[in-house]
Amino acid sequence: MDLLAHLKDLCTAPGISGYEGRARDLIRTAWAPLTDELHVDRLGSLWAIRRGTAAEPRPRLMLAAHMDAIGLMVTLLEGEFLRVVAVGGIDARVMPGQPVTVHGRRDLPGVVVQPPAFLLPKASREGVVPVSELLVDVGLPAALVAEQVRVGDVISLAQPPRELQGGLLAANRLDNRASVAAVTACLDELRARPPAWDVVAVATVQEEVTLGGAITAAFALEPQLAIAIDVTFGAGGGVRDFPDRTFALGSGPALGLGPNIHPKLHAALKATAERLEMPYTLEAMPQHSGTDAFGLQVARAGIPTMVVSLPLRNMHTPVEIVALKDVQRVGRLLAEFIGALTPDFMESLRLED
Amino acid sequence: MQPLIKKLVEAYGPSGYEGQVRELVRAEIRSLPDYTSVDPLGNLIAVLKKKTKSGRKVMLSAHLDEIGVMVSHIDERGFARFVNLGGVSPLTCVGGRVRFASGVTGVIGLDARRDDPGKPPTLAELFIDFGAASRADCPVKVGDAAGFYRPMETIGEHRLVAKSLDDRIGVAILIEVMRQLKNSPHEVAFVFSVQEEVGLRGAGTAAFGLDAEVGIAVDVTRTGDTPNGPKMAVNLGGGPAIKVRDSGMLADPRVKDLLVQRAREANLPAQLEILEAGTTDAAAMQIARGGLPAGCVSIPTRYLHTPSEMVDLRDVEGVVALLVQTLQKPIEL
Repeated sequence: MDLLAHLKDLCTAPGISGYEGRARDLIRTAWAPLTDELHVDRLGSLWAIRRGTAAEPRPRLMLAAHMDAIGLMVTLLEGEFLRVVAVGGIDARVMPGQPVTVHGRRDLPGVVVQPPAFLLPKASREGVVPVSELLVDVGLPAALVAEQVRVGDVISLAQPPRELQGGLLAANRLDNRASVAAVTACLDELRARPPAWDVVAVATVQEEVTLGGAITAAFALEPQLAIAIDVTFGAGGGVRDFPDRTFALGSGPALGLGPNIHPKLHAALKATAERLEMPYTLEAMPQHSGTDAFGLQVARAGIPTMVVSLPLRNMHTPVEIVALKDVQRVGRLLAEFIGALTPDFMESLRLED
Repeated sequence: MQPLIKKLVEAYGPSGYEGQVRELVRAEIRSLPDYTSVDPLGNLIAVLKKKTKSGRKVMLSAHLDEIGVMVSHIDERGFARFVNLGGVSPLTCVGGRVRFASGVTGVIGLDARRDDPGKPPTLAELFIDFGAASRADCPVKVGDAAGFYRPMETIGEHRLVAKSLDDRIGVAILIEVMRQLKNSPHEVAFVFSVQEEVGLRGAGTAAFGLDAEVGIAVDVTRTGDTPNGPKMAVNLGGGPAIKVRDSGMLADPRVKDLLVQRAREANLPAQLEILEAGTTDAAAMQIARGGLPAGCVSIPTRYLHTPSEMVDLRDVEGVVALLVQTLQKPIEL
């Protein structure tokens, strides 16, 4: 499969949290030929089920990669301008001047503008102008804006993807479409290697706001194991002072460790990477992993959970950057781990031994 | 509805201590539902059974509890220190009155000697005076809970001012909907929930227990129409506010769109609501079990979490009409 083309395609769908429809359609198209059954759950998460070869009742592994993306939402029509609020953690520093698409009665191209400093409240005149003072201009006169746009319409960032040197891709929404693409790569590899376990790849909704998609899908699916795939902070771009919290692009999967992670599941993934002689790093997650895994772990009676992360620079900006080979590696690592799962693997996770 | 609203808003029921107001609601709805239950947390659940096969199971929720205070210490002269139950602002406490389950009332006073008298006080700098002469004479003990107390008043032609309109106005609306709803094809569970103000705790367990297909909360929201108010497209008297999002959830767009459509069909004025600080029972319903398409119809309210919350009766009637309209028709999401 052409991973780069697939990933660029995924990044074009807006899929703002709560409004993931178009992203879901693209992912459904990519996952349908690789799996046996598709299902959309009550909140809109997409499940793609690849049936295993073991005897029934088969154990089930859930892969969770969130498909929602951060964006903006219209709060007020102010004449010809739109006042907005962030959906998810928008980085206000890079918003002025950004091209956006306002998803009104039809899609309208727009730009984010900031009023001149002397027109802002005193507290906002210096430094970063907060999202609450930014406006979106679609170029229409007030009467036509009111026809086309309503309070609550979502707005997506509209920078097109840009291929950089060295196998890097800069794009919107690589958080977390890069992980979705890694799951696609995993499902693709599993075609040639039928797993014993049932594998349910879930493109979750609303990770950026409540983790609601992961919480509810894990309840409904009741898997024996869950792995969240998400992005982590890439090294570079002024973050050199935090070597313990950033990961070089191209350094392979970052394997999470901490209370949100089952230690023996972590060890099994690590052993898989070593068997493959694949580069990897370890990521300390002392509290909330900041991923779907935080919801997955405490669903039902508790689920052994793991986080596999992709290094990504400039998180929550329109120029998020990943290395293609990391995406490929995460897919391969997952496939190799899943392919080697034996029906009695859960025995090896017992903590009392 | 005014006599019912007055009874409800003037009742006692801080978070965790909803018994009195629950009994009041139970008496009001006595013969209306097909069955009624109180769950282990204290939620009162009244169910109208399904009338047709194609009907959905719908959960409506309005919370019984109100913000309040809890006594944390009593000094030797009989003055009580207190902590908050829910979002209590010290600014609205000073000179206020609180009332306990027993009916005992107290007045909130302010320390005259404070570290920085130029700054607004903190709750730790406030105390309750019961007119007691000593600790032994004090009519309350540590752990006793109180609600704020003011009588309801009508202001202008259409507006009510009272404490605890958050969310007794929602409770009154649910009761009125239950009275008016004659021909719903759906199973409708009216949940009068507990502990909303301390983390949506009642609605979460009620939603788990009911396992409904659709959830709608009925609660209050802010307005953007007061002097130097928040930048918000909701006005008092502008009609029911259909939630798009708040700080705890993105309302399910299918539920939001259904409510907008039903309002349009009934020629009801309605507003779209984005609340930047605060959330409702719908956020807990949304993530219960395998997920629940959930939304909220809000009553525009000024001066939230003060003893003088203000609503417009036309909005209240609009919310009743919108809910009845929605529940009488098919729900396809």
